[in-house]
Amino acid sequence: MMNACFTPEERERLARASVLLIGCGGLGSPVAYELAAAGVGRIGLCDMDEVDLSNLQRQVLHHTADVGRPKVESGREKILALRPGTQVDLHPVTLTSENALELFRQYDLILDGSDNFATRYLVNDACVLTGRPQVHGSIFRFDGQVTTFVPGQGPCYRCIYPTPPPPGSVPSCAEAGVIGVLPGFIGSLMAMEALKLLAGRGTGLTGRLLIYSALDMDVAEVQIRRNPECPVCGDHPTIHELIDYEQFCGGVGA
Amino acid sequence: MSLTEQDILRYARHIIMPEVGGRGQKRIKAASVLVAGLGAAGSAAALYLAAAGVGRLTLWDPAELTEADLTQAIAHARSSLGQSRAASARGKLLAINPDAAVAASADPDALPDLVAGHQVVVATAGDWEAVQSAVLQAGASAVFAGVQGAAGAALAHRPGTACLGCIPAEERDRAGLRPEGEGCAVAAAGGVVGTVAATEALKLILDIGSPLTDRLWAYDGWTARFRETGVSRRPDCPLCGGD
Ligand SMILES: [Zn+2]
Ligand SMILES: [Zn+2]
Repeated sequence: MMNACFTPEERERLARASVLLIGCGGLGSPVAYELAAAGVGRIGLCDMDEVDLSNLQRQVLHHTADVGRPKVESGREKILALRPGTQVDLHPVTLTSENALELFRQYDLILDGSDNFATRYLVNDACVLTGRPQVHGSIFRFDGQVTTFVPGQGPCYRCIYPTPPPPGSVPSCAEAGVIGVLPGFIGSLMAMEALKLLAGRGTGLTGRLLIYSALDMDVAEVQIRRNPECPVCGDHPTIHELIDYEQFCGGVGA
Repeated sequence: MSLTEQDILRYARHIIMPEVGGRGQKRIKAASVLVAGLGAAGSAAALYLAAAGVGRLTLWDPAELTEADLTQAIAHARSSLGQSRAASARGKLLAINPDAAVAASADPDALPDLVAGHQVVVATAGDWEAVQSAVLQAGASAVFAGVQGAAGAALAHRPGTACLGCIPAEERDRAGLRPEGEGCAVAAAGGVVGTVAATEALKLILDIGSPLTDRLWAYDGWTARFRETGVSRRPDCPLCGGD
């Protein structure tokens, strides 16, 4: 009979593990609590935004009293209130081609909770170049997606989305809206996948993309494969260093 | 129930969507939800319902907050150790949304009676048969959801659809649809199942989408697999049969 929860040995692995959260917003909120609760030893928070009143409908890491404060500071407080032993490292910076590789090398796993395409491609390429596994999630209105990219074991983000959508074709969260509980579901799935990968237990989402509809309450699964022609993880990669992602995505974030 | 200027700023991402709109946000504000159990799934459900703007929340949980809870339930903080889980979660919900009216009950006998006066019950612990009976009597809606380890299940009910008693106990058990109890739970899996419960509660309040009524939904975190079984109302149901 399998242990219902993480075994002492698996918890020991989690205690030695480190995870970098790109974004302390909707997706980062449940992840921060749930990784801390599971005893992940070191959690890095990368976000340069301040808490806004319109965030609170979904970003449960932040309290009403935190409006105006840096999200990373608010996030650290909540993690420590739940589990004071956690090491929380703050990176109140914009992730760029200049700082991403050095930052990623300090962590075992990267969790992408970003909200724009330029950052997603940057996170992807930096994960491939540093060999770091990535748990990826995205949300839009009532829908979301989750998967895991492990370099050398399956596809990367570019394998399934070779080119970014034309600038302006995908409305932002502010323009299109989002049901507040959606990032709670997608983020919690991401946290579970990160914990499994770090603890070395269970079947992960490598090669499997989950597509969720909150209105239908339905999760569909699509098989995804590595593209041998992929410019960053393919057989003959052409991207060997980080590029200008704003320009690659047409000059604007989504 | 009108929206204040602050409400319009706070809930801007809801209000901009046609499925919610200002009208829907007013319905959420006018809604009352009882959350029974503030463990793995109930914690996540309660946090997101408060954040979404549910006007009145009642939290029921007679258990005292322990160290173990802090490893599996995210609506609590270490500084609340020794309080009831209901009181601990109440403090957290109010910090997120001070506009919500949040009541806490740690009285073990209060549960079925608390159902009356709430539009939706999110039940993650307690005597579910008694809750379902009270829900039927009050004409309310309910979402039953719970997590054991990293697996869990959920079912929604509104008047006229299959109730908890319509599903044979063995079938519920096979799917993992049980109240949370003493066993361990992974907080992240509680987040998955608890947010499903909160989503379904909001869909019932807003009357949008396809609810989890007549659908027994299950998640297994270790494999990241989801399963759904159709269920239907049974005339010989011990809880809703014969009405
Ligand atoms: Zn690739
Ligand atoms: Zn019945």
